[in-house]
Amino acid sequence: MSAIVCSHVDKAYGATTVIRDLNLSIEEHEFVVFLGPSGCGKSTLLRMLAGLEDISGGEVSIGGKVVNDLDPGDRGIAMVFQNYALYPHMTIFDNIAFGLRRQKVPAAEIRKRVDAVSRTLGLDPYLGRKPAELSGGQQQRVAIARAMIKTPKVFLFDEPLSNLDAKLRNHMRVEIARLHQSLKTTTVYVTHDQLEAMTLADRIVLLKEGVIEQIGPPAEIYLRPANMFVAGFIGTPNMNFVEVTVGRTGNGWTLTGAGTVLSIEGRGFHLRHGDRAVLGIRPPDLKTAGAAGILQGTADLIEFHGNDALVTFGSGGKEISALVPARECPALNAPVRYTFEEEAIHLFDATSGASLRKQ
Amino acid sequence: MRPGRLIGKAILALAGFLAVFPLLWTALNALKNNVDIITRAPRLVFTPTLANIGYIIGRDSVLTGLYHSVVACGSAVLIGVVLGLPAAYAVARYPNRWAGDIQFFVLSLRFLPPVAVAIPLMVIWLQVGLYDTLPALIITYSLLTISVIMWLAIPAFQSVPNEIEEAAFVDGYGAYSVFWRIALPVAARSLAGAVAFSFVLVWNEFLIALMLSSSNAKTLPIVASELSQQGMNVPWGILNASVVLLSLPPLLFLGVLSGFLNSVFRQKKT
Ligand SMILES: Nc1ncnc2c1ncn2[C@@H]1O[C@H](COP(=O)(O)OP(=O)(O)OP(=O)(O)O)[C@@H](O)[C@H]1O
Ligand SMILES: [Mg+2]
Repeated sequence: MSAIVCSHVDKAYGATTVIRDLNLSIEEHEFVVFLGPSGCGKSTLLRMLAGLEDISGGEVSIGGKVVNDLDPGDRGIAMVFQNYALYPHMTIFDNIAFGLRRQKVPAAEIRKRVDAVSRTLGLDPYLGRKPAELSGGQQQRVAIARAMIKTPKVFLFDEPLSNLDAKLRNHMRVEIARLHQSLKTTTVYVTHDQLEAMTLADRIVLLKEGVIEQIGPPAEIYLRPANMFVAGFIGTPNMNFVEVTVGRTGNGWTLTGAGTVLSIEGRGFHLRHGDRAVLGIRPPDLKTAGAAGILQGTADLIEFHGNDALVTFGSGGKEISALVPARECPALNAPVRYTFEEEAIHLFDATSGASLRKQ
Repeated sequence: MRPGRLIGKAILALAGFLAVFPLLWTALNALKNNVDIITRAPRLVFTPTLANIGYIIGRDSVLTGLYHSVVACGSAVLIGVVLGLPAAYAVARYPNRWAGDIQFFVLSLRFLPPVAVAIPLMVIWLQVGLYDTLPALIITYSLLTISVIMWLAIPAFQSVPNEIEEAAFVDGYGAYSVFWRIALPVAARSLAGAVAFSFVLVWNEFLIALMLSSSNAKTLPIVASELSQQGMNVPWGILNASVVLLSLPPLLFLGVLSGFLNSVFRQKKT
């Protein structure tokens, strides 16, 4: 049985529609990440699951029960907010116990459960303090403890790590992953950080302007993006896009554009002679080549990343980037040549942006 | 210490002196005989007397005035708290299309010159038959306290982060519990300021009290002002003593309020 089902869900604020006819089903124990650019409706969707935002149309059910008209407290969910949202006037103990008190759990059991949860998250030394006396990372752990203690059917996270510094973020990400491994609670996690999405998710839901662009496991989204938006959004550095014209040859296809002609077998794609298409190739898939390079130009920008260097060069009036090992890094303004494998390319319809890949 | 800090402290000390000295001088004068007060050179050393204070406390009119003031202002502040705080919370958290108008109306009560409010009120109470009674004064003052408390409490409630209240909703609490257990305590410090301000405002209120009472509901400010109308020979000592009496309750009120707040919000040391 699915833990969460959204069918034909709409959300409108007055005349502006924020979520449009959204259908999504999340399995039990699954870790689903909502990913998308700022303002695409991730938080709104999550808050609709939580019951903090009215559902304008359609139906949301959690654990097989339609929850459209249920209060947040009756939905069997727990939520972790971006800025922790701890109760500033209560001690850490009371913060964690607040939800249980509502459920009229006996005091002795509350103490036992708070102790157990705070031990798991390493919070025992701070139980008597107020939230303002904790560091950001500790506060976030209290917020997670507060969500955990209710043993909810569903965890909802809204960018829980975005207020932490990079190092702590990595640490907490690992903790959240470990927590999910041991608790197996169904989780919906909102982020705009690709790395978080890639590392945590069983499935990623990629949103744009309130519409789902693609749903799938991280590897599938990365390797087989359904359209140009997904391809461009996922992966850093960003994918190179080159407009090409498709041509038929005896035993394969040619792609002409950006000052070069590329011959491919093209078995994996739906192609037609004369079509306009967009060729997508990720910077790490470009390899330094000798005389037989497919793409060539002069390196006009070099960004050093440590192990790698990002080389940007112009080819046929088009800026293209290649991520190469730092030791292969060319000098600025030197001529460069790159090649790539046919398996690495993506092709999209030039007008609709949809992938031309055969399913 | 750097000179900048030194100058800063000096200015602070001067400002503090300017604020406190008149109060101190009044308190001193309350302990002086009239001859010590009306000397050309101010006298710091004198034989103190309790006669002024005794006179004030011994007068029935002063005691009834004090009683009227305490009852009228206390009840009005209580009503202001009970009605004003929930109203402010509702406007802050559940704004509807009248929220802006409500806020403006509440504020407009304070824009009008007090006379413009007092004269119609006087007519109303005369017609209702409650003129010159404490209930009339309490209800009138409640209008003031409710408007002031609402006006100050709306931003106080708005400054409570929304997510905190949402977290409580997710924890299973309803709107009323969230108001009691989250919004009120988190905003308590600013709210206490609002309540104290409303108390001081009605405690010092003069014009409305003057117009709504002729004999049976006189408040302390009215009684104190009458003390100075006893002919050419102004009884300075008695006046000063009545000022001291007038200033004590607000100070007490503030002290109790801030003490209560401190006990609620004391940081726990671990
Ligand atoms: N109360 C509101 N009234 C009108 N529009 C709103 C309201 N709340 C959100 N929106 C709009 O809904 C859209 C989605 O907002 P949402 O907060 O869900 O974005 P998000 O994907 O979480 O973005 P971010 O990554 O910046 O948090 C935005 O375009 C926003 O302007
Ligand atoms: Mg958001």
